[in-house]
Amino acid sequence: MQNHSYRFYTFAEISGMFLKPFHSLIITTFLLVFFAWFSPKGTCQSAAGIAGDLVIFHAGSLSVPFKEIAAEFKKLHPEVNILMEAAGSVASARKITDLGKPCDIMASADYSVIDNMLVPKFADWNIKFAGNEMCVVYSEKARYASQVNSGNWTEILQKPDVAFGRSDPNSDPCGYRTVMMLQLAEKYYKKPGLKNRFLQKDQIYMRPKETDLLALIETGTVDYIFIYRSVAIQHKLKYLTLPDQINLKNPAFASEYASVKVEINGKKPGEKETMSGEPMIYSFTILRDAPNKAAALTFAGFLLSRDKGMKIMLKNGQPSVVPTKVDNYEKIPAELKPFVKK
Amino acid sequence: MKRLSPFQLAITLAAALILLFIVAPLAGMFVATSPSDLFSTARDAEVQQSIRLTIWISLAATVFFAIAAIPLAYLLARKDFPLKSLVAGIIDLPVVIPHSAAGIAILGFVSRDSVVGKMGSAIGLNFVGHPAGIAVAMAFVSLPFLINAARDGFSGVPVRLEKAALTLGASPARVFFTISLPLAWRSIVSGLILMFARGMSEFGAVIMVAYHPMITPVLIYERFGAFGLQYAQPVSVLFILISLSVFIALRLLARNKKQKTAADA
Repeated sequence: MQNHSYRFYTFAEISGMFLKPFHSLIITTFLLVFFAWFSPKGTCQSAAGIAGDLVIFHAGSLSVPFKEIAAEFKKLHPEVNILMEAAGSVASARKITDLGKPCDIMASADYSVIDNMLVPKFADWNIKFAGNEMCVVYSEKARYASQVNSGNWTEILQKPDVAFGRSDPNSDPCGYRTVMMLQLAEKYYKKPGLKNRFLQKDQIYMRPKETDLLALIETGTVDYIFIYRSVAIQHKLKYLTLPDQINLKNPAFASEYASVKVEINGKKPGEKETMSGEPMIYSFTILRDAPNKAAALTFAGFLLSRDKGMKIMLKNGQPSVVPTKVDNYEKIPAELKPFVKK
Repeated sequence: MKRLSPFQLAITLAAALILLFIVAPLAGMFVATSPSDLFSTARDAEVQQSIRLTIWISLAATVFFAIAAIPLAYLLARKDFPLKSLVAGIIDLPVVIPHSAAGIAILGFVSRDSVVGKMGSAIGLNFVGHPAGIAVAMAFVSLPFLINAARDGFSGVPVRLEKAALTLGASPARVFFTISLPLAWRSIVSGLILMFARGMSEFGAVIMVAYHPMITPVLIYERFGAFGLQYAQPVSVLFILISLSVFIALRLLARNKKQKTAADA
């Protein structure tokens, strides 16, 4: 019978069994390079200016313009590493309030999201910077694409072989803005029941975020979507301009817009909140606990300048609303005071 | 007294660390959820419906696609053909494709204007926004697990047993059902459970194809976005507890037969 003897294997023997020395060297080098590459760069302020990571949470519809603005900003400040995360405006706010994820700047498609969820516990101020408008967007492959126009879309979209998509009012400002636009359209075009007809049709094509609708339209799953004009321009899709009385663009029609209301989910399941129609305003804030305030302030100034950030916003289909009045002028950082009105 | 060698201690330590790695985040979530939140969530009809729906759709998808996937696994185990490695690689693809990309691909595959979509419309079925579409998305990302497990199971069945049966006059079909399948069954069941589990948790691919009806991963995401962590976590905890009991039950069922025969032997 064989005698089993127990012995320690030395580390060298074990490694020798599994790794030839050359291979160990390769693996060690690889690990060192890997960790060096991916190590966080920190948020120190270098002598030359601002540096480090800059974390921006933003609405889905700001993805394209913000990417361009970040690229331009990086040319002036190559030391800053801009990290952007797109999500629904409410989901972005939740990442800050509930998950405690570090964030420098939060930009929302609806300024009320920041006012309701972040001020005053996580932020002190809220600067409005851009507008947008609702429109009907479609691709060339859409059914009846050649016939549809601003006058007949309400009939064409109701046809049984036409499919349209919209976003979830409970999750996304674009969703409740769509419902508001439909209510305003019912009054404007004098077609009673229009809103309900639209809300009940094609419910299977509802998606949580407005930019999810792009997947639907680009795969031909739907023919038309209700989304912002800026997104249509950025993705080179065709769109129908809707009258200012219904498209939530023009502050001159604010009282008209205020006549419609939408109920969405409140703070707890079962609770409801009422949103009133108003002109669409995008806003942003710098979080009180922002890890890299210096870079955030510089970026904010860049974003709000007429010939830099706002020029890019305009090119991407979003008009500027700078400067807008704020209620708490004294809380606005000094560098950004020129961009607001008292 | 049993004396453990250093090697045995080392592997026990490693095992404990890995187990801790899996348990710790889940335990954190369980601890953060109060029993009252959990009970009120369990009574919520929307949550109940969502969990039921998720389990049923994944179950149906697993069973439906298994009918074709198991024969494929058998072929891969038994036959050699040109480009076999390519086929094996393609089968593993759904695991690495980013979920949103998979969802968009599936959307294109089943939308109204596609071949599959048109076939569906012919029988009045639109995959988008329908449990059938959800099942397709779930199956797409989870099939590799079943195919690989089943293939390994069939590979473990000695070919000479099959050949012996053939020489004794059994048809290939009879050989498959009475020799190959029963002997590979344990691996196949493991693969089925894995496919079922993976399908249930899919989010990125499913949400592209269907937001409503809401499977539980989508519901958790929606609740988190709308109401916050306090309302999303209980749903997660509930879903995990129910899934855990289902898996334990399935594994016990799969084991019982083996244990019995081993005890009898």
